[in-house]
Amino acid sequence: MAALTFAVARPVPARPRPKARRHLTGWAFVGPATLIVVGLSLFPAVWAFFISRAKWNGITAGVPVGWGNYQQLAQDPDMLAAARHTLLLTVFFVPLSIGLGIVVAIALNQRIRLIGFYRTCIFVPYVASAAATGILASFVFNPQFGAANDVLRHLGIPQQQFLESPSQALYVIVLIALWGEVGFTTVIYLAALQDIPKELVEAATMDGAGRWRVFRHVTLPELRPVTVFAAVWQTITAVQLFDLIYTTTRGGPLNSTQTVVYYIYELAFQTQRLGYGAAAAYLLFVVTLLLTLVIVWYSRRRGSEVF
Amino acid sequence: MRPGLITGGAAALLLLTACMGGTTEPGKDAAAGYDPKATVEITWWTGQSEEAEKVAETLAAEYHTAHPNVTVKTSSGAPTTDDLLTKLSAGFTGGNYPDVSYAYGSWAGELGGSGKTQDLTTFVQDPSFGWPEIPEAARQTATAGGKVIGVPALVDNLALIYNKPLFDKAGLAYPTDEWSWEDFRAAARKLTDPGTNTYGTAYSVSGSEDTTWHLWPLLWQNGGKILDGNKPAFNSEAGVTALETLRRMAVDDKSMYLDQTDERYWRLFNSGRIGMMLSGPWSLIELKEAKRSYGVAVLPGVGGDHQTVSGPDLWVLFDHEDVNRAGAARDFIKWLTSSQIDAKWNLALGNLPLRTAESTTPEFATYVKEYPGGDKFFANLANAKQARPTVPGYEEMSRNVGDAIAAVLQGKSSSKEALDAAAEKSKNALVN
Repeated sequence: MAALTFAVARPVPARPRPKARRHLTGWAFVGPATLIVVGLSLFPAVWAFFISRAKWNGITAGVPVGWGNYQQLAQDPDMLAAARHTLLLTVFFVPLSIGLGIVVAIALNQRIRLIGFYRTCIFVPYVASAAATGILASFVFNPQFGAANDVLRHLGIPQQQFLESPSQALYVIVLIALWGEVGFTTVIYLAALQDIPKELVEAATMDGAGRWRVFRHVTLPELRPVTVFAAVWQTITAVQLFDLIYTTTRGGPLNSTQTVVYYIYELAFQTQRLGYGAAAAYLLFVVTLLLTLVIVWYSRRRGSEVF
Repeated sequence: MRPGLITGGAAALLLLTACMGGTTEPGKDAAAGYDPKATVEITWWTGQSEEAEKVAETLAAEYHTAHPNVTVKTSSGAPTTDDLLTKLSAGFTGGNYPDVSYAYGSWAGELGGSGKTQDLTTFVQDPSFGWPEIPEAARQTATAGGKVIGVPALVDNLALIYNKPLFDKAGLAYPTDEWSWEDFRAAARKLTDPGTNTYGTAYSVSGSEDTTWHLWPLLWQNGGKILDGNKPAFNSEAGVTALETLRRMAVDDKSMYLDQTDERYWRLFNSGRIGMMLSGPWSLIELKEAKRSYGVAVLPGVGGDHQTVSGPDLWVLFDHEDVNRAGAARDFIKWLTSSQIDAKWNLALGNLPLRTAESTTPEFATYVKEYPGGDKFFANLANAKQARPTVPGYEEMSRNVGDAIAAVLQGKSSSKEALDAAAEKSKNALVN
């Protein structure tokens, strides 16, 4: 667009260049980037779509099955269970990470000694790789020899199975994910808090608002655009959570932590059902796209454009 | 739409079809008219980690010295052996796959279906190859779709490994080769002590092949079969009896440590928390490092039937439509798996010997001295009477059976229901 406007705005072209050459220059600029996007994103995506319409194990010849894989997905109890686990994970993880982020950000926005040190401490888990976090957590939550059960013993609370119990594992994973991700939401909220104009707060105080009312009617509304961004971002993080599950439970026990992404991995790379896995991946893509569109549409309607 | 786009789209479609298709060329022998003097370079993916990879490279160099016209390009092929299949499938798509690759036996069905493997059926029948010297179950595994697609690279089997000090402490007699599963269960119960976190035995409930293949010997001992033609048959009465044997220990007695990963139970055995485990000769290598005092007995049996399962790995040979490469790859593998060279390879790495003839070599004596119980595992090869099926779809079926076992051992389902559900789910995978 910019190049076009520029060309039109030029008063007198020195010499009208041949059209083909101008096209060529344009393509020379966008070419490399286009090639990378087409080669590494679009081509595999299109290919995956064709694979999703075949029964293929990556080795023997693929058999086209039309929409068979998608029809099978709709009736697959494992897929349904995986979707339920992903949904549960998202429903717990997103609001909690945002809520905790705001609370910690407010705490770290105070003028106290060693504040820089505290801020670093909160951010470090986010920098650590999820794989490392997962391995560490599986030591802590080991039912027989882990530190978590030691603490419970001292408090006189019965021993728990944590990651080895089908009913607890998913929540323990949410907890571990929160530990790693709260650093991120904290940092963006900290930045947003410091961007709130002092005059607004002062004006409200002058008008006799207490601390709670300042927070409720000045701070929170000012944080809304950041919250929309954080909600979209954390939803995508939750839906795509893989490395943590891989390093802690591998989808177990009894597939109770098998999320959609992990199920896709298992289909495609553990049992070599590439066609079926690709169909599941496409389904996930469509759902994520719709979810994001809904959030963006909702936020635009509310007047805060972040995307 | 512009015509250019249509052509482009059509070309892309063609490419995609080509990428997903396999090649099959029936009839012709890959090495017909092979000239042993021709200068060739063959690629060898060993699937080994550091130390073993070094031994492989030494052997490849040794082969090159003896046959200067053949260069063997050696690499591990993938970061872990598990990743080899993904690498191979990517290699097939890109047309860049090795001449010889290590492969798990459970991949044989899929690799055989690729149409890119050599057919070695007549080659191995040559008396000089000594095909019958290799254990029967391993030979069956190397045969997919009626064709021999490779040569066994490693043979193993499951036996009962027990912790001697724990038996002494409990005042129990050591397991014998005549044990029944009732003896095993009784001992496991007596060895279990919640106070010290000690378990009688252990089982992986990760739902992987490790979970599944430990059940197969029990199924066979009870007279069951994994498949009937291409229909699942493991949910028979024999299958239910087999799984019940395990369920009683896990659920009723709580004498079985249930491992949610495949990584923990043998570590706990090595650190003296588990009395007995059903495992293979690879465990001896770790037990030696852990300096545990242990013994080995054959698997407990049903009515005197003590058969076990073998998990052979393979050297799979691929066809590049080049007779000289195909021929050179065959000669190389024949050399590598000969009893003389195999003693320098498998026995040196702490694996069982591939051929019966090796049991008289000095290398075997050294192996048994270094890894006590190795001779027991070697003798137990005779108990590996049946092989896991080499059909496409085995991997998926194995996953379903693994999930069923995990659910039953954790008290979430009855044996009959879980196995029936797994059979129902696997039907589709096995048919085509």
